[in-house]
Amino acid sequence: MRVLIIDPDPARAALVAEGLAGIDPLQVRLAAVFHESEAAAFQPDVVVVASESPDRDTLESLREASAVNPRPVVMFVDRSEPGLAEAAVRAGVAAYVVDGLSATRVRPVLEVAMSRFHLMHQLRADLAKAKADLASRKTVERAKALLMRERNLDEEAAYRLLRKLSMDTGRPLGAVAADLLAFAGVLKGGDSM
Amino acid sequence: MGFIPLVDAAPLIVAQEKGYFAGEGLTVSLSREGSWATIRDKVAAGALDGAHMLAPIVLASSPGVGSEPRAMIAPIALNCGGAAVTLSTRLTGGGEAGARLKHLVRRRQEAGASPLTLAAVYPVSIHNYLLRHWLAGLGLNPDVDVRLTVVPPPRTAALLEDGVIEGFCAGAPWNAVAEAAGVGQTVVRVTEVWPEAPDKVLGVTEVWAAANPAILQSLIRALAAAGAWAADPHNQPELVGLLARPDYLAAPPEAIAAGLAEIVFAGPGVNPPRREQAAWLLQQMARWGQIGDVAIDKVAERTWRPDLYLAAQGG
Repeated sequence: MRVLIIDPDPARAALVAEGLAGIDPLQVRLAAVFHESEAAAFQPDVVVVASESPDRDTLESLREASAVNPRPVVMFVDRSEPGLAEAAVRAGVAAYVVDGLSATRVRPVLEVAMSRFHLMHQLRADLAKAKADLASRKTVERAKALLMRERNLDEEAAYRLLRKLSMDTGRPLGAVAADLLAFAGVLKGGDSM
Repeated sequence: MGFIPLVDAAPLIVAQEKGYFAGEGLTVSLSREGSWATIRDKVAAGALDGAHMLAPIVLASSPGVGSEPRAMIAPIALNCGGAAVTLSTRLTGGGEAGARLKHLVRRRQEAGASPLTLAAVYPVSIHNYLLRHWLAGLGLNPDVDVRLTVVPPPRTAALLEDGVIEGFCAGAPWNAVAEAAGVGQTVVRVTEVWPEAPDKVLGVTEVWAAANPAILQSLIRALAAAGAWAADPHNQPELVGLLARPDYLAAPPEAIAAGLAEIVFAGPGVNPPRREQAAWLLQQMARWGQIGDVAIDKVAERTWRPDLYLAAQGG
């Protein structure tokens, strides 16, 4: 079975391809943009496409068989399992199969694609959180250094003061630290960062 | 609510930014989508409550027509006009563009060369029907004499320049963008052929409409009021600025202003969904072999809902 993956996000496409490697026999090709001539040369049995790709409308037009396109592409909507198509839409992925391929062979491909799209979403969210955590930790370190310098505190006491401010105001430590640094900047009349 | 970055998404964008949704007590988030297929699927799956939609997509979702899983309705039409056919400046250089195109098509056939490629934006769209109608008027058979394809509107100017396509039919601002880039020239506008043809509508599922009657009424009123605001010439500079924003169209203001001149957003002939227009669109779909023998009147009655529009205006 030949699978063409159209996804403007190359990292996610690679993740889907890697997930599909477990299904054999299989040939996978990745593309950021759908090119009809490349697709014609590859002759995919299934096209997996990211919902955000504008190429979906081009793929839809291939549903209409013509002399130029004798192998009609049909949208994959599996009636036997209500909810599958909806789940795919919510996962951000769509699949098109070339007429004649049985639904039982398409399903595992779509399921892998869906789970990988979910995984990528989760990875991106984790990365964003890790970045925010790191930024927050750096801010706390700088606020601590400021308190140690301005108030002649040792590191432990500076941290305790920050913790107290955080608890008294009910705001996260990072936010309290950022405020402190900003105020120090204003008081000095300079750039707070 | 979903929208495609086009000038005719203005009623939704205006309703959001000028407070018409809020004025009706609605909290709306707008979601920019990349394709009509995704808009249709998200509305059908309930991932979007409603969307800016090509009018024929709603008709194609009717159980009497297609095999789409969820029936949709159009309770308000958003605009007329905007669609236009633009040909490569390679074809429009000398003489009448249509005659020149026909000559080239025939010459290539005589020489055994590949057919010229022209693009529309979606298979079931007024754009596809306008392009086909115009070609037929030249004596060309759109299914035989040329190759018709679908391309995403933002890519039309580049594909025209590269010679991948020789012409396209799309909505605003993409014809103006191709003209400004010097790669295309608009040869016919939908308003010259079918001045009252509905272009975009609000599309929601029957199920959602039945479950949320009060919200739907508020939505119709907000969109009608936003359409009237968008139609007021005094608001045009502000409207251009709004639409040009990176989170909406992210397109040049000049092209947006040119597109606005082609579009009618408000009026008694524009906003109420008229069933004779739905029937006419279904006839276009049948003319080009997209649908078989369907009960046109029944489909028009089920999908085009002037009753909901009137009820909202009276409420």
